[in-house]
Amino acid sequence: MTSALSIQDYTLDYVTSAGPVRVLHDISLQIGPGEVLGLVGESGSGKSSLAWALMRHLPGNAREVAGSLRLGDIDLQRLSPRELTRIRGRRLGMVFQDPSTSLNPTLTIGRQITEALIQHRGLKQRDADALAIDLLGHVDLNNPAAIMRRYPHEISGGEKQRVVIATAFGCQPDVILFDEPTTALDVITGARFLELFARLRRETGVAALYISHDLALVTRVADWVAVLERGRLVEQAPAADIFRAPRHANTRALVDAVPRPERRLVHDKPRDQVLLAASEIEVQYGSGGLFRDAPPPATKKIGLEIRGGEILGLVGESGSGKSSMARALTGLARFSGKISFDEHEIRGMRDMNAAYRRDVQIIFQHPDSSLNPRHRIDEILSRPLKLYGGQLGDIPSLLDQVRLPQSYANRWPHQLSGGEKQRIAIARAFAARPKLVICDEITAPLDVSVQAQIVELLLALREETGTAFLFITHDLNLIRQIAHRIAVMRRGEIVDLLPAEDFDADHVHPYTRELMAASPVPVG
Amino acid sequence: MSLAWFVRRLMLMVYTVIVVSILVFAITQILPADAAQSLLGENATPEALSALRAKLGLGDPTWLQYARWAGHVFTGDFGISMRTSLPVGPEMLMALSRSLLLAVSAILVTLAVAVPLGVVAALRQGRLTDTGVSLIAYLGVSLPEFVTATLFALLLADTLHWLPATGYVSPLENFGDGIRHLVLPVLTVSVILVAHVMRMMRSETLDVLKSDYIRAARLKGLPERTVLFRHALRNALLPVVTIIALDVGYLLGGIIVIEEIFAIPGIGRALMVAITTRDLPSIQAGALIMAATYAVTNTFADMAYAFLDRRIRYD
Repeated sequence: MTSALSIQDYTLDYVTSAGPVRVLHDISLQIGPGEVLGLVGESGSGKSSLAWALMRHLPGNAREVAGSLRLGDIDLQRLSPRELTRIRGRRLGMVFQDPSTSLNPTLTIGRQITEALIQHRGLKQRDADALAIDLLGHVDLNNPAAIMRRYPHEISGGEKQRVVIATAFGCQPDVILFDEPTTALDVITGARFLELFARLRRETGVAALYISHDLALVTRVADWVAVLERGRLVEQAPAADIFRAPRHANTRALVDAVPRPERRLVHDKPRDQVLLAASEIEVQYGSGGLFRDAPPPATKKIGLEIRGGEILGLVGESGSGKSSMARALTGLARFSGKISFDEHEIRGMRDMNAAYRRDVQIIFQHPDSSLNPRHRIDEILSRPLKLYGGQLGDIPSLLDQVRLPQSYANRWPHQLSGGEKQRIAIARAFAARPKLVICDEITAPLDVSVQAQIVELLLALREETGTAFLFITHDLNLIRQIAHRIAVMRRGEIVDLLPAEDFDADHVHPYTRELMAASPVPVG
Repeated sequence: MSLAWFVRRLMLMVYTVIVVSILVFAITQILPADAAQSLLGENATPEALSALRAKLGLGDPTWLQYARWAGHVFTGDFGISMRTSLPVGPEMLMALSRSLLLAVSAILVTLAVAVPLGVVAALRQGRLTDTGVSLIAYLGVSLPEFVTATLFALLLADTLHWLPATGYVSPLENFGDGIRHLVLPVLTVSVILVAHVMRMMRSETLDVLKSDYIRAARLKGLPERTVLFRHALRNALLPVVTIIALDVGYLLGGIIVIEEIFAIPGIGRALMVAITTRDLPSIQAGALIMAATYAVTNTFADMAYAFLDRRIRYD
């Protein structure tokens, strides 16, 4: 039987000013008809380059040194541009990482689906419209006819990803490439996406290459898993085996990095004294006007307490109000309600004095946008030191603290990797010697293995400084490893606030149970 | 783009015009010109002067004078020119129509030339075509209007005798002659605008072509032509709409040079004459009409933008 997709001894270089850099070494992979192969690796391992090579969308400096890429009996490397438009989408589809940027903001959803159907299936506009409505209904979108007329910004991220997948399946390709399709989605939306993928796969028998950095996730969707490390395939095994018996050291590291709630990383108890008590916190963005109503509040009079040295988890899907809570506690959003901190009472942003702002620090999700690209690392770190009475001589020890070489002081943010940048953001927060650090989804943009290192660092810093954490995340498995107590938020309200070990109990809120079902513990 | 948004945007335009009318009135109040003196000449008797001041209401509080003036303006009455003793409104509007004809023609020519050039330059980025197009565009924008105007006039009027060198003929009276008189000024203005729009179009096209949704459109298997025209062009055109609206401001203010060179009796020239002769009603009318035109154009640009990109909500 011929493979649906066959990669044979494929080797790829990128030509840079410093000479050629090898990104893929002798890659050989086969995907049978109807089979799903998971490709796992950290960022920079070359997994995306392989996808671009298959789609024939390599950058200008790419050099294919050896090997072949075949889709069934088609030699992908020999296709002319004209032949390529008949293969792309039609025989070889692709679902992208970020659905919000892969749809054209100025065209309707309907237009963007039907143009592919018209191109590849030779339909008339009217038939394409009818088929598109069918397809959108089939991926469980409500009121598909209305969705057809909307623009991408008028539907949610999960809905956009469903539109993308409906388009990909609508052209009935032999193979679909998935490039981290759930990374930009929150846990519950991501879990529903995986269910949808499993169903469509059963119905259509499509073969797929599923690329992800998350080994646990890949083992749930794929039949076979291949692990890529720095451009080399280090392990290939059936999905069921790879988790239980990883053979290669790199695979084992990936397995270990997957957060498991039963493996607690924090064993101490917080102090009894309450550090911060917030009550009746309501955040309201924007007000009504002559022609429109005010939006609903982002948080609805909620309260929480954080004790000295405690790690309080705050989980919920996107839009649940987690970040608004963080913004209120740091004075970045206007709020009503009361915060008591160290016996100091705060009823609004104006009550937050320099001492409070020093004691309560925040680390943001995207270090790319929270570090000024025009400042060197030492400049970034010197700001809080100057502001809060530290000394510039502390910069080397700050870098030590976050396990970065002291020489990084002279670097620019763009010269650092994502994980390193987040370490700088952590160092900046700890420069103020805070009593409470609010982490707002700080590991969400990172690979699983980098996430594990960052979590390890935060816990070490907590050991050294006794700082309390408010740890906001949508990863329930991760937070159950480290938090003392966890608050679950939904639509601006806290539906559960339980000790971490009680999450297996029966009395949890139905929504919490749904969240737990969406983040299953990996097999094996 | 909801009806509410539409109404809000129109209200914003109205506010702008009201604020401008107050500023225009205030400036003419501060100018060292006495309306009565200007009307009667230097040899007027003090009695005649004070009689006329009373008649014109110049002794009234400033706000009352403004209200009276604004009320008249609202009904289309801009007053009587101190220079020609004719109503100011019709004269200024006629001048505006000549300038607008020039401006609109120049913008149409610019769009027809600059948009395709910008796209071609982007598609051939870094190659000879790109460099050549950019070089010519920079040359055009760096030469002052009077130099380009003179060069065009020397070539097309003096040497080749294809076109009249100066003057204005209304296309409504004699279409062919009107157009022939328009060509030189439109060319001169377009040379500058083409550079603006072309550069903007080039960089926007480059940005858009790098975007994820263009990659997605290509990988969906759409032919390059569809990717370019349906997916890229519309998004790349968005900022051009804004640039054009801003250029209308330049055109209305800066067109005076062109109008002088080619002897076109447009609004720039009319305002210039009004200022040099201290003809207060004409200054007020000219300034207000220009500002209103600018406000209307920008409102249209915003609406065009909102139509092209539905994400826009001016809150």
